[in-house]
Amino acid sequence: MTSLSAHQLSFAYDDREIFHRLDFTVPMGEFSLLTGPSGSGKSSLLKLLAGLFPQYGGRVTSGQVSLNGQNAAEIVPFQRATKVAMLFQHPARQFAMRTVNQQIDFALANLQLSAAEIYRRRQWVLGKLALQQFAHRLVTTLSGGEQQRVALACVLAMDSEIILLDEPFANVDINGRKNLLQILKRLQETGKTIFLADHDPTGYCGIASRLFRVDADAKTVRTVPLENLPTEEENLTPVRLSDELLGGRLRWHDLTYGVGERQLVHNSSFTLPAGKIGLLSGKNGAGKSTLFNVLSRQHHFTGQLSFDSVLAQKVPLRKWALKVGQVFQNSTDQFISMTVKQELAISRKHSRQPDYWTPRRIDQCLADLNLSRVVDHVCYRLSGGQQKKLQLLSMLIMAQPVLLLDEPFAGLDLQSIQRVLQLLKMVKKDLQTSILIISHQRYGIVAALDYELRLTGQRLILQGRDSDE
Amino acid sequence: MNRTKRRGLNPTILFVIMLGIGLPLSFSRSVILNAIIMLFTVLYLCWERVRLRTALLVLLIAFPLAFGSWASFMFFGTGDRLHAAWIYGTRVYAYLLLAMILTMTHSVQEILLSLHHHLHLSNTFVYGLLGSFNMMKNLRDQYRRIKYSAMLRDAPYHFWQAHFYLRLIITALNWSNDLAIAMTSQGFTEGAERTELSVDPLPAWQWGLAGLLIVLYCGAAFLWRPW
Amino acid sequence: MQTVDHNQHHFSLRDVIFLAIIAIFFGLIYQGWSYIYYLLAATPLKPFANDLTLGVWVMAGPLAGVLLKRPGVSTIGEVLASAVEMLLFSSWGAADLLSGFVQGIGSDLGFATTGYRNWSKLGLFWSTLWSTIITFIWDWFKSGYSKYSLAMNCSLFVIRFISIGFFAGILVYWIARLVRRSGLMKL
Repeated sequence: MTSLSAHQLSFAYDDREIFHRLDFTVPMGEFSLLTGPSGSGKSSLLKLLAGLFPQYGGRVTSGQVSLNGQNAAEIVPFQRATKVAMLFQHPARQFAMRTVNQQIDFALANLQLSAAEIYRRRQWVLGKLALQQFAHRLVTTLSGGEQQRVALACVLAMDSEIILLDEPFANVDINGRKNLLQILKRLQETGKTIFLADHDPTGYCGIASRLFRVDADAKTVRTVPLENLPTEEENLTPVRLSDELLGGRLRWHDLTYGVGERQLVHNSSFTLPAGKIGLLSGKNGAGKSTLFNVLSRQHHFTGQLSFDSVLAQKVPLRKWALKVGQVFQNSTDQFISMTVKQELAISRKHSRQPDYWTPRRIDQCLADLNLSRVVDHVCYRLSGGQQKKLQLLSMLIMAQPVLLLDEPFAGLDLQSIQRVLQLLKMVKKDLQTSILIISHQRYGIVAALDYELRLTGQRLILQGRDSDE
Repeated sequence: MNRTKRRGLNPTILFVIMLGIGLPLSFSRSVILNAIIMLFTVLYLCWERVRLRTALLVLLIAFPLAFGSWASFMFFGTGDRLHAAWIYGTRVYAYLLLAMILTMTHSVQEILLSLHHHLHLSNTFVYGLLGSFNMMKNLRDQYRRIKYSAMLRDAPYHFWQAHFYLRLIITALNWSNDLAIAMTSQGFTEGAERTELSVDPLPAWQWGLAGLLIVLYCGAAFLWRPW
Repeated sequence: MQTVDHNQHHFSLRDVIFLAIIAIFFGLIYQGWSYIYYLLAATPLKPFANDLTLGVWVMAGPLAGVLLKRPGVSTIGEVLASAVEMLLFSSWGAADLLSGFVQGIGSDLGFATTGYRNWSKLGLFWSTLWSTIITFIWDWFKSGYSKYSLAMNCSLFVIRFISIGFFAGILVYWIARLVRRSGLMKL
């Protein structure tokens, strides 16, 4: 029987310790769920267990991860992969080959199997995961869920006993997720060990058989009773529709867009109300982030998109960027200079509302967001939460009349979330900004919002109103 | 990965011909030989039945470069201007067509695997490059996002700004790490043996042909030296 | 089970992918501004367009050098960039790969002059000087610079040195400094 465990493991990035003398054993034959907020170290733990760290990041300062008693980091990959393999958060960044067949063959050829055995295993796994019709498809044309299924096919074909999954559903739609979860559950029941990290514990009730939580303060992993798993679809607190949504400046009509061959939204029309904060909700993979990219003209669409009744095509992208602001999901995509001070200085210099964003107000905001201490720090060395807050503040100072926020609360503690919400409310009131937010987290947020726009069935539906849109 | 037999030459041979003639071509001074290279490569492309539209487009795009070369010698050349103009004008096309006999008849994957089989290009390079090319579309999106992020702050990047390159390097760092981790997790081991699934036949006579063509070209270019 | 030792002196999978991604980005940069180049290159001013813009084309080599700091890395970085160029974007064909090799060798010679010990100002200075000389000799034959007048050759050489000096020298130095400050790579 295979065993995989961490012994007295201490692990750090630069000077920041993530785990301190951690003892942890992966429960064999179980479906384990590892939860914890973004940036708490879930991904690091998985990569350590897979033997991929410290080779690909960080430092082990004490202890080790043992795979059958041997240091996992030192085993050659082609042997390690038969015991433990991993699925990653970005489905598109895990393929060496172009087609599904080639990709599965690639993994099997790494194991130095005979050509006949490779063919046998590939055919078997294509059947097992119902991938036959994709066999010759280009991996890049598949949806996130299908890509994860291909990655899983590689792992199954390699016959890895332990399957580690790092936020595998981050880019996967609801059906893809359901489908993958069923497959994983079946695999566990037939003897595989599943160890899955997800910041969002909903949807695992009845599937996960063990529950763990990263305790970032104690730098360790704790066992949590299964009862703590939220039962299916906890009643989502709805956003109460504020009585009046007056007109706004950004408007779209008959908007249609998709990714590859998949249509995400069909003929949607809406005007983003000025001076309001909206929640853009919908399942993973429904096309929420893509809508933001459409509105910022980073993604192809058909239909009319206009600002102050001027069609988007008539406005140079440079000018458009000063009308529609965007806070990216990935913080480091936002920073255009080096230090916190420089970031803010650029925003202040080019602000659309220089009279409003006085140095005094900015200093006050910095203090509110607990960023005053770090103004001279390099953006890339801030913690995830600090990066989020800096991102947000620098875009608020730019003060575009429309602001799109993609997961602005990820990795923030409750106090920070409240501060951020106060700031947003202040700005929307003072500057009549149209703000639209994507956030998987609703707790502590909905009360501050004015409306909810739900993306479902390729339609954008304003919640809490009888007639659609 | 098994591919059906093609009618043309092996990619490695085409690669050797491309560089084996391309290098001495840089030192030769003959319009006639350039024309002969162009003629033979065009014939080869026709025989391989490459996509006409793509081929013409590639040739058309290069025209300004060829014309620029030609014109610059007519204007600034010394000595036999006409000869120089035609040498360097046609040379642009000779280079281009020498590469087209390889790139238009074989996929990147076929070329890299062939170089692995016959010229010992390591697996690390072959699969590292293939994996990177797979991310092309995402990289293009990311490139756009980086430029947009600067526009959002009314401070668009220019290609002479170091910060712009920093952003590209950060993406390259993160993404190369992600892909390398994933490939390692799929058992890819640097320097280790792998099952060779692709067959890439290279009959000895093709080596002979490549050698012959290169020797013939060099002899003609440096001994015969036609106009 | 067998164990590995992570040898730091050869090209790792991650290095190859890293350089390939950089090369793809350079491809996108070239694509974006090649319009300007084309406008100039379609006229008798082509040699000036060449030499004025050469710095950007040779950047990938020294950049790879100062980031990865290993002998030969400039050559491989530049050859990779030109291979990506030829395979994915190009209109130069075989000349791409040959020129990439020559440019990479030029840059590597510069770092070799310091015994591969200095990857900062001094190494970059030599790298730009050698690149200028080697690529100029290359163009003497390949692009027929021997057929231009001495005066024109002198001005081309100066323009080339300025272009390479800025893009492959000063700019690369600035980039390396930023990367170091960002703390994302230990330089």
